[in-house]
Amino acid sequence: MEQLLANPYVPPLILTAVIILVFPLIAGYIVLAERKVLADLQVRLGPMRVGPYGVLQPLADALKLMLKEDVIPSQSDKWIFWLAPVLSTFTALSAFAVLPLSDRFFVADVNIGILFILAMSSIGALGLILGGWSANSKYSLMGSLRAAAQMVSYEVPLGFATVTAIMCAGTLSMQGVIASQLERGVWGAFDNYGLMLIPTVLFIIAGTAETNRAPFDLPEAESELVAGFHTEYSGFRWALFFLAEYAAIVVISSLCVTLFFGGWLRPFPNVAALEMPLNTAFPAALFALIALGCSKGVFRQALAGFRLVMAALTGLFLLVAAAFALPAANELMIGLFWFGFKLAVMVYMFIWYRGTFPRFRYDQLMDVGWKWLIPISMFGLILNGVVQLFARG
Amino acid sequence: MASLIKTFLLTDLLKGLWTTFKNQKPSKVITEQYPLNRPPVAERYRGAPRLNTHPETSETLCISCNLCALACPEQLIVVTSERNPETKRKDLTTFTYDVSRCMFCGLCEDACPVDALELTQDFELATYTREGQIWDRQMLEEGPLPVRYTH
Repeated sequence: MEQLLANPYVPPLILTAVIILVFPLIAGYIVLAERKVLADLQVRLGPMRVGPYGVLQPLADALKLMLKEDVIPSQSDKWIFWLAPVLSTFTALSAFAVLPLSDRFFVADVNIGILFILAMSSIGALGLILGGWSANSKYSLMGSLRAAAQMVSYEVPLGFATVTAIMCAGTLSMQGVIASQLERGVWGAFDNYGLMLIPTVLFIIAGTAETNRAPFDLPEAESELVAGFHTEYSGFRWALFFLAEYAAIVVISSLCVTLFFGGWLRPFPNVAALEMPLNTAFPAALFALIALGCSKGVFRQALAGFRLVMAALTGLFLLVAAAFALPAANELMIGLFWFGFKLAVMVYMFIWYRGTFPRFRYDQLMDVGWKWLIPISMFGLILNGVVQLFARG
Repeated sequence: MASLIKTFLLTDLLKGLWTTFKNQKPSKVITEQYPLNRPPVAERYRGAPRLNTHPETSETLCISCNLCALACPEQLIVVTSERNPETKRKDLTTFTYDVSRCMFCGLCEDACPVDALELTQDFELATYTREGQIWDRQMLEEGPLPVRYTH
């Protein structure tokens, strides 16, 4: 076993398998979180029927999607229709290869990490375009054309914001970016006397547009285009598009967390006094609090089965909380915890935008992209460059 | 100038985000978990018909006067009775009420001289067959018994 793990190819392969197997479940639970948070923002309840408070809803949804009939429209270009969701999912999942999940959990730390992610997400757009084109439906085609135009427009400010962050960090490697933030003792977002906030905000806005999320969800605008590029897709193929969309959200959020919010570093990584409260007390208290919340559900649920599920969840979260109190387990998981925590905040923000902002009109979308975001991002790049030149010599 | 700075600091967007965020309170949720929590209906709501019985003897209050059937604009009530030779009164034999044609106008309960026929606040009237909508005397006295799904 020791010998096997020492082989440089084995741990990344194991991690790859784990990511591919576990990510669909995580995506399902992000969907549940989205439905629940959106319901909160709109003063509704959200899913409440499948399992206590709807906690088993993702499993039921997955089962339903797998059992659905596989429909391919007769007038479609069948080969491309088959290829499009595969392409989307493949590119979205391969971008995970360079994500620095923690200081010891990552598939690969390559010196072109950020470039790789940007390249993969650009090819992912091709999946949407092919999907819309091959279905031979007007709505799909309109949706995919919009997707193409939007992605081309917003890739530019996203690129400029990324370039600014790379310039600040001085490396393209994801782990290198985090190491430089540790070395400089400040998150990327607040570097250069706070001027890095400009690319941070731009990155979040352009990233929302890049992942086709509200308020930039024109490619799948329900009220105008039925469902946009995936109108003709159903069942498992549709699930693959869905998976790709949520993978893209996670990848963009991870990129944002890595470039601007310190990746797997805890807040204030250079202040030694905060080591105990932030690395041990905070995660343990957080999971204990979640367990407490779940334990309330044990008494509030009427059905015995639901009580059992809530009790199991309580036990699980208590176990995680206890694990964070153990030094050995803590050291293993703390990087993963902070990365996941920051990622969760980012994903929450995405859902929060969706619950707040109305959708842009198409000309407004182009207006914001070309007339505002691109000039501001160029300005931010030059400003940060000049400041960096004089501040760092 | 001030408005330009406001635009650049995205104050409107942040204000919107704050508005949605502060409105999420469990106490404000108005969703009803229908089969679990039944909604209260208005006091004067007219729903499922009921043929009242005497609370102690559980004999029907209906005197088979047929006034409800005459009052009904849809003519969906059929009352049959037999003359009891001892008491010289009409005894109710059958009472059918076709709920599928009923518009719940309440004229029958107004016509009833002994408050035997009454439109209750029960609103779960769905059945699996058309025939199920024609209520006989027993069903009118007991009221509808919809399946109570827990989930």
